[in-house]
Amino acid sequence: MLLLSVVFFATPLGLLLAFSFAGPTGVTLDNFAEFFGDPFNFKVLTNTMRLGFETVIGTTLLGIPIGLFYWHSGRRMRQVVVFLSLIPMLTSNVVRTFAWIVILSRQGPISQALLGLGLTGAPTSLLSTEFGLLLAMVQIDLPLIILPLVAILARTSRQLPEAAEVAGAGHWRILVTVLLPMMLPGLLAGWILVFASTSASYVTQAAIGGARNVYVPQLITRQVGVLFNWPLASAIAMVLLLSTGALLMALALISRHRRLVGHA
Amino acid sequence: MNEFRLNRRMFGMLVAGAAASSLLPSMARASGGLVAATFPGSWEDAYRSVLTPLVKAAGYDLTVAPALSQDQLTKVMASPGAPAFDTLLISPGQMAIAIENDLIVKIDPTRLKNWSKLAPAFQGEYGPTVTVQIDGIVYNPDVVPKPKGYRDLFENPAYAGKVSWTGFDSNTAVMAYTQIAQIFGTGPDDMDAVFKLFKDNADLRAGVTDTTNHQMALYQQGEIAVFMGSTNNVAHLKSLGLNAEFVQPETGSPASPVNIHLTKGSANVDAAYAYMDAALDAGAQATFEAPPTEMFPTNSDVELTPNISSVLTRDQVAGLAYPDWVSINKYRDEWTSTFIALIAS
Repeated sequence: MLLLSVVFFATPLGLLLAFSFAGPTGVTLDNFAEFFGDPFNFKVLTNTMRLGFETVIGTTLLGIPIGLFYWHSGRRMRQVVVFLSLIPMLTSNVVRTFAWIVILSRQGPISQALLGLGLTGAPTSLLSTEFGLLLAMVQIDLPLIILPLVAILARTSRQLPEAAEVAGAGHWRILVTVLLPMMLPGLLAGWILVFASTSASYVTQAAIGGARNVYVPQLITRQVGVLFNWPLASAIAMVLLLSTGALLMALALISRHRRLVGHA
Repeated sequence: MNEFRLNRRMFGMLVAGAAASSLLPSMARASGGLVAATFPGSWEDAYRSVLTPLVKAAGYDLTVAPALSQDQLTKVMASPGAPAFDTLLISPGQMAIAIENDLIVKIDPTRLKNWSKLAPAFQGEYGPTVTVQIDGIVYNPDVVPKPKGYRDLFENPAYAGKVSWTGFDSNTAVMAYTQIAQIFGTGPDDMDAVFKLFKDNADLRAGVTDTTNHQMALYQQGEIAVFMGSTNNVAHLKSLGLNAEFVQPETGSPASPVNIHLTKGSANVDAAYAYMDAALDAGAQATFEAPPTEMFPTNSDVELTPNISSVLTRDQVAGLAYPDWVSINKYRDEWTSTFIALIAS
């Protein structure tokens, strides 16, 4: 396992790090200076982080009701929930992204529904908008939060919520003080997966977000494949890695906190 | 529902399988074959079905590896000395980069039987031209009137909100923007004039896509009705049952030749020459000239179809505009960065 980690993770990461400090005359910080010297790049980085957070919020708002439905369901319905959650993951991300192009376009069902309900006066496209991208990202990454959630809920006892109910707690109180703390380890795992997936999702960002919504993976792709400036691309990749890595590390630390995750 | 379990032995086998699959191109070459990079989609299908038997008849196995121009260069740059492909299929924009980075070598024309069938414009010292695309304006006649040229797209209200643009990543876009710079600015390098057009018009900025591939998808969805494209884009759209027409702008149509190049360090030079010759073969090019590929045949023995000759005749070939890609590539970084920031602002 150690050997695999060295070959497939540490070595490429080391190469990426070395490239990020490479310059025409040797080791340099110029690539990082070039990235941070342009306020536009900083805006792109914050946009990427924001998209990650918004997707985490969106998937959480949808994932919790689905998780609760799973928890309240019988064995057969639970299998259906897991199966339906897995189905989108069986298709390529590219296919799902292009399906969203159809859904969000002027001729798509959202536009036609808004038009039919009289909410808009003309067909409206949600392509090349941040909201459209967010909708697509939430749907695409939803299984990443549902699966850890149901893994936790599958082995969660019903006795604790029932005891709370017997003690007179209302439904909302049970949800907030009993169920959500029980779900927290699964949510934390899901947040880590969703955030990491969203911030690196080049295909969806480029296809749905268009050129008006620029995110870090697009900058990296452009530097690698169009401008062939690999040292700058490596520096940008390191910045993305460190930014998302810091946030994921924080989430990982929270997930180990005994009181927060209900192991007190 | 059955539990999914992966033990150490299964994991080891999966890793070994994945590693072995990555060695397939090397194995293909070790067995006397070559790996030829080709554009994905209709190009890949056509080259695989038509050229594989021709190369086989010459005594070599052909592995057609689909990759976009940029990806071809990136992969070859990533493994200097042991290139991922024996031959590249790219346009002059990328060829200039390949030469600058010492990725391709000059060829020996005496080793190609079909060399003499090519017009001088198609006899490149770094490899033959297998087809030439003509860039211009692609439009949907069901939605918009036939545009006269680029000025029309900016000034005629009939096109407002229906035109899609893309950034300087695309060679086609770069060539169009140099023409637009000539119309609205002082010359082909006056890109500030182009940037001003986009800065002053929010509708134009809203119509910018990240790549040209996305434009095809948006056109299919009826999201856009006009984009900067090539004759091949029109052929592809028509093959999908869509109504699309091509217009040569009044400023002229820049030519985008597609060339085969021999990569430096190729271990199968003989097979590479056999492959180049197969791609120039009259029979093969006659097949590629038919839909859905509709490629202009560079072999002069092949008669042009009415569809092809309506866009380009052999007499027009010498008069086509060939942009100076070495000069363009000098500014490309700056233009790309400025345009991205402008559109996202």
